[in-house]
Amino acid sequence: MQAVSAALGVVTLALLLAGCGSVPSWPDERSAAAIPALDHGATLSLACSGCHSPAGGAIPSLEHRPAALIRQSLMDYKAEADGTTVMHRMMRGYSEADIDAISTYLARSATP
Amino acid sequence: MTAFAQTRRELVIGMAGTAALAGLSPKAAAQTKVRLVVVGGGFGGATAARFLKQLLPNASVTLVEPDTDYYACPFSNLVIAGLRELEAQRFGYDGLRARGIDIVHERATDVDPVAHTVTLGSGAMLSYDRLVLSPGVDFIWGAIEGYDEAAAQVMPHAWKAGAQTALLRRQLEAMKDGGLVVMSVPPAPFRCPPGPYERASLIAHYLKTRKPKSRLLILDAQDKFSKQPLFEEAWAHLYPGVIERLGADDFGRVIAVNPAVRTLATDFENVTADVANVIPPQKAGEIAQRAGVADMTGWCPIDPITFGSALQPDIHVLGDATIAAPMPKSAFSANLQAKLCATQIARVLAGLAPEPTFLANTCYSYLSDDAAVSIAGVYTNEGGKLKSVEGAGGLSPSGSDPVIQGNEALQAAAWFRTITEQTFG
Repeated sequence: MQAVSAALGVVTLALLLAGCGSVPSWPDERSAAAIPALDHGATLSLACSGCHSPAGGAIPSLEHRPAALIRQSLMDYKAEADGTTVMHRMMRGYSEADIDAISTYLARSATP
Repeated sequence: MTAFAQTRRELVIGMAGTAALAGLSPKAAAQTKVRLVVVGGGFGGATAARFLKQLLPNASVTLVEPDTDYYACPFSNLVIAGLRELEAQRFGYDGLRARGIDIVHERATDVDPVAHTVTLGSGAMLSYDRLVLSPGVDFIWGAIEGYDEAAAQVMPHAWKAGAQTALLRRQLEAMKDGGLVVMSVPPAPFRCPPGPYERASLIAHYLKTRKPKSRLLILDAQDKFSKQPLFEEAWAHLYPGVIERLGADDFGRVIAVNPAVRTLATDFENVTADVANVIPPQKAGEIAQRAGVADMTGWCPIDPITFGSALQPDIHVLGDATIAAPMPKSAFSANLQAKLCATQIARVLAGLAPEPTFLANTCYSYLSDDAAVSIAGVYTNEGGKLKSVEGAGGLSPSGSDPVIQGNEALQAAAWFRTITEQTFG
């Protein structure tokens, strides 16, 4: 958050230099809206939402799943050496820490 | 990262300077919005517009796309083979408009990276603080002697979906049983590396079920190709005697065509086709050359952390137009790159540095109406270089297991529903 404050400071300064007496509302709103969607778990999870949605059908939706359940599924995919699905092949590339970050993010995000 | 941080400072200072020069009232200045312009309404551009608006709701987001209807390339090979209707490939932009994105149905004809403007076909100009280009591919007309836009009306490429898809399907339907279909595959890189071989599989399915005396010849400028062992296994298993392929080592590369008599010439022979599908060599969409983001290869070098152009400031490039190998030129890649690019732009505008992450790709290819195979990849962009993560990704198992391939066909259909809803919904 320190970096964010610093950035807002730059914006404020810039607008003051431009003769603008008050800070526009958008940096605060934007930052508040954006930052939870910008952390490490969020960027890692961008790869999930291309396939997983309530519209999917044969590919399960990830909505409303607790983190522990998502984590266990992903760890199982990673561990099953003879697994053949896309998920088995993908999860072999992710560390346990990555899987923790993804599970935490997906569980708290209604729309991953 | 340093350059990116500097760009952000310039953006902020630039905004302030603009307000001051324009003599805007404090109230008007307070309403100054970050101007984000996206060119190209396919899987990369439409996704980028949606996620930029979602992450930066107070920014102005404009999507420039000449067509009001978008026909998706994934699954269009099923249309060619008569297994799906073209209408199921059609998507529009009302969903994005409802999310507050300005849609401009014009062609972007030029970009001035210094003035930060995009020129439209009408002559109007759009100013941007950040520009995202997702122009897809253009064909290198004339790279195969005799193959130009007029020739494509006789020997369709069907490598941009829509009227060309319908044309190739009609030609197959009109062909007599016992006819010869010829496909010409260009050298890499091109859009959708396994696409020609999925198409060959599905055309073979059509011939086997509807015109069993007919044959398919693939004249290929490549020696090796994507998912090769799985396709070759399927062709032997499902379509014995239907498909013949000549790779580059077998003089398969087509060097000239004559649409008047439907002949294709290699260094070795002339072949006369009843139906000819010529997939031409490709480059980044024309606007990339105009904007100066394409290099001598015809494709666009990028920083894979932000998908910022390596050649021009404040311009990002996504999807098929980029040099992103080992990530393939696929709809999944373009959609994910768009989400990542939007996230990194939002991070920078929120005062956070862009950060490396893992990217991934999945491509399904149909072998028949009810069987599919896939390739997956996981990539790191650590250090500004895209690399495959060792031990991850790879192909579906060989062995033509009908349960596994049937499940992958169902998963492919689910993927298509989800990615098109995320992109256009």
